[in-house]
Amino acid sequence: MNAEPVTLPQLLGISACLALALVAHAASLPVWVLGVVAAAGTIRLLLARRGRPPPARGVRLAITALAVSLLFLQFRTFNGLTAGSALLALMAGLKLLETETRRDIYVITLIIYFVGMAALLEGDSFWLLAYLVGVCWLTGAALLRLTTTVPVPDWRRCLLYAGRILSQALPLALVLWLLFPRFSGPLWHIPEARRSAASGLSDTMSPGDFDELALSDEVAFRVRFAGAPPPAPELYWRGSVLHDFDGRTWRPPASASFIAPPLEPQGPAYQYTVSLEPHQRNWIFTLDWPSHWDLPGALLTADYTLMRREPVAHELDVRAVSYTHVRSSEALGDSLRRRDTRLPAGRNPRSIELAGKLRRAHPDDLDYVRAVLTMFAQEPFFYTLTPPKLAGNSVDEFLFATRRGFCEHYASAFATLVRAAGIPSRVVTGYQGGTFNRFADYWIVRQSDAHAWDEVWINGRGWVRIDPTGAIDPARVEHGLSGAPGAEEPLVSRWQRRAPWLADMRLRLDALRQVWRERILFFDQNSQQRLLEWLEIPEPDGQKVVLLLTAALSLAFCWLTWQVRREAGPARKEPLIRAYARLCAKLAAAGIARLPHEGAEDFAARVAHRRPDLGSAVTALCRHYSGLRYSSHPAPVSIGRFESAVRAFRAARPTPQDSRGS
Amino acid sequence: MSKLRQAAVDKISAWSARRHGVDSLPITINRRRIYILPTRFGILLGLVLAAMLLAGLNYNSNLGLAFAFLLAGVALVTMHHCNRNLLGLQVDVTTDVDAFAGREANFEFVLRNDSKVERRDVEIRVKSHAGMRSVEPATSASVPVAVAVLERGVLRIAQFELRTRHPFGWFHAWTYIQGTLTAYVAPAPRGARTLPPAGGGSAAASRSEARGDEDFAGLRAYEPGVPLKHMAWKVLARGGEAAVRTYSSSAAQPQWLDWASLEGEDTETRLSQLCLWVLESEAAQRVFGLRIPGKEIPPSRGAAHRFACLRALAVYGIAEPQ
Repeated sequence: MNAEPVTLPQLLGISACLALALVAHAASLPVWVLGVVAAAGTIRLLLARRGRPPPARGVRLAITALAVSLLFLQFRTFNGLTAGSALLALMAGLKLLETETRRDIYVITLIIYFVGMAALLEGDSFWLLAYLVGVCWLTGAALLRLTTTVPVPDWRRCLLYAGRILSQALPLALVLWLLFPRFSGPLWHIPEARRSAASGLSDTMSPGDFDELALSDEVAFRVRFAGAPPPAPELYWRGSVLHDFDGRTWRPPASASFIAPPLEPQGPAYQYTVSLEPHQRNWIFTLDWPSHWDLPGALLTADYTLMRREPVAHELDVRAVSYTHVRSSEALGDSLRRRDTRLPAGRNPRSIELAGKLRRAHPDDLDYVRAVLTMFAQEPFFYTLTPPKLAGNSVDEFLFATRRGFCEHYASAFATLVRAAGIPSRVVTGYQGGTFNRFADYWIVRQSDAHAWDEVWINGRGWVRIDPTGAIDPARVEHGLSGAPGAEEPLVSRWQRRAPWLADMRLRLDALRQVWRERILFFDQNSQQRLLEWLEIPEPDGQKVVLLLTAALSLAFCWLTWQVRREAGPARKEPLIRAYARLCAKLAAAGIARLPHEGAEDFAARVAHRRPDLGSAVTALCRHYSGLRYSSHPAPVSIGRFESAVRAFRAARPTPQDSRGS
Repeated sequence: MSKLRQAAVDKISAWSARRHGVDSLPITINRRRIYILPTRFGILLGLVLAAMLLAGLNYNSNLGLAFAFLLAGVALVTMHHCNRNLLGLQVDVTTDVDAFAGREANFEFVLRNDSKVERRDVEIRVKSHAGMRSVEPATSASVPVAVAVLERGVLRIAQFELRTRHPFGWFHAWTYIQGTLTAYVAPAPRGARTLPPAGGGSAAASRSEARGDEDFAGLRAYEPGVPLKHMAWKVLARGGEAAVRTYSSSAAQPQWLDWASLEGEDTETRLSQLCLWVLESEAAQRVFGLRIPGKEIPPSRGAAHRFACLRALAVYGIAEPQ
């Protein structure tokens, strides 16, 4: 039965399903693999259209050997998700080339399922899952069309049936998904492929180069505070800290030290969860200044940046505690002080001269810092997202010529001026502010919230955060980038300002996405425990999860069996016959049972003879019935009328008088 | 390997026969007699699902797990649907089976589907011969299965099988029915002699009747088995009784197919010749009778008559079991 040859429509159907499955995974597959699969499918379909058999065995083997060795040359392994799924896709294409019998089609469907799985291991969106379930649906319909008997049911009918199978599978799938035991860690090590496209904060800062990040509306991370959030101006999300300046570019130190000097918290602790989008960097954004976190293997650097050994390549949730106000009474070591006051020799001479002038007027460190900020506030400095380009002496050009820039320019210029006065300072990059989603109570921090600020060492207080951009336009600090007047804001935010409902809609969508992420993507052992608690099962543990799974599966199975058996039984009678049966039952209860061979009119005559009191009513009902029964197309309305007449009919028990009479 | 498989299949069918006893047709298939196992692709799918489950757990991918579990659910649902495809079907077999030695016995099964769902791709298998049909809701369908037969006589098959792989081909559900299929295998129709003329071989009678087969001779009462084209439809349409037109040649002179007329041939040759004559006479719509030693079938015609003659030829010289 499986050796039967396939027809062109069957081949077309399964090729379409394979193509749709590969589309979902296309981003991770080498382009030439997709090309080979497409070519193989096209060739096979063209051959089938002309009624010709697939290419000769030798040709197929040669192509397979060539393609597989090419793949090996590219990846050097078949292990791992990318190489494995590429191999699978290749095999599917070549299988298509040799498809002759139904057996081959069954193999292709299995490959379709596998490709779908590979796509889901890399992706995480609801739409991807929905799409792949759709592909499964189509594949089911294609399988249904592999029938032997004619007529082959049309697509509509196959889709309906496959859809019913899918919908009946949903409860089983839901039970399994909710209650199948999860492991806390991977069973074996997964070689993580670094994805090439990294979006997010860079680890260097070059004011004067164009920065497209500020215009990006992409989400960097989301934050949910366990209690009340800190006031908006204190939402500084710490990324990397830059110390080394060459006159143009700020860089982090070549080697990070992981001994963070202790801090004395000065205010309330904030507990929150950061949901990071993959950004391919090792650091984890936390609220300034982090003190506790629940991520194993993550350490705080000497600059108070939370770092992890592996880059963040997948979505990641980190719970952490931070204090927005801290101080440190320790002294700064000499080598660190030297590092954070170093300026490149011979660069930005006018700035250094200006710093010297200011320093003579303000010998106190804090006074000096204030003086620099006052200069930014009073002199005509402008905030713009598209400042003029700067060359080698970027700080000089910015301070004395262009005077236009955004946070990077101000942070760089400020740090240079402070260092020139002999005060240790450094540049911190990260994000500032965010959008509060009032529909679901969390903050969205986008790439356009990227920010750079400075930290200045004040003896007796430790590192103090100074945001020189705030000196230009305080609104900038409070409302984020899109709030900055005159800025060339992203198109999306301009729209949102014009149509507030659009912004609301966007927030609602984002809230849904966050629910998806918290409830679905990060469903784990703890969530299962909470589920059991919600079901009021005492002392939930792994064993009880398994017990519950067994019970729920049995229940789902019983439901399924009942559903399926019900359809296999004889079809229910039509309403007219049911109504007539009810009439007969009523009369039987009244003592006159219809004989099996008796027609409606004969029965009515007998009833009229034995029970003259019921005679006219029963005769009318029976005449109504036979009229409906033997007319070619009885109107549903008149059937309904007959039904209600039967329902209204009451046959009283025969009185003793009557029974004597009969 | 296939020998081992065959042995296992024989064991199961024998066990099923002991379990259910002899069935009388028609039979409605209940759930106790449906067996189900995954097919080779069902097993392969199981392996794929296991791999998907492991991958989903390892990558900690809830979406991957959801996909794998959905597919597992689909597999379990198709198992139920495969079983359901046979459940509640009514199976019957027609009794008059055309069968000739050296050709095939054409069994005709009738599948009745009283439910409101279609039964797709139901295969009926008699020994190694099979026929397949789909049955729409609330209809019946006939499934012809041709079984090759070599020898004249009575063919009895104690068991047949209903099977299906619907819907996705991942499961294989089947049931054994211990209903005896009987076919009277007529001798192979062949012979060199021409059909003897009507009227017992009298040349004069034959000439007098040569005028016309189609001469209308009158009406007689309808009886089952009469060819439809001889029905007197006009009479029926006027509200009269069902009647059949009779024709002079067939009405007047019955034709005898006689064992005795084949002097000098051996038994099987004679039977084959008689068998050929029966078929030819029936094709020519003649009224004929059959005379063989120990049995005489009076002249008549129609499918039932033809079948009675073929059956007499089939069992000639063979103790007919009752």
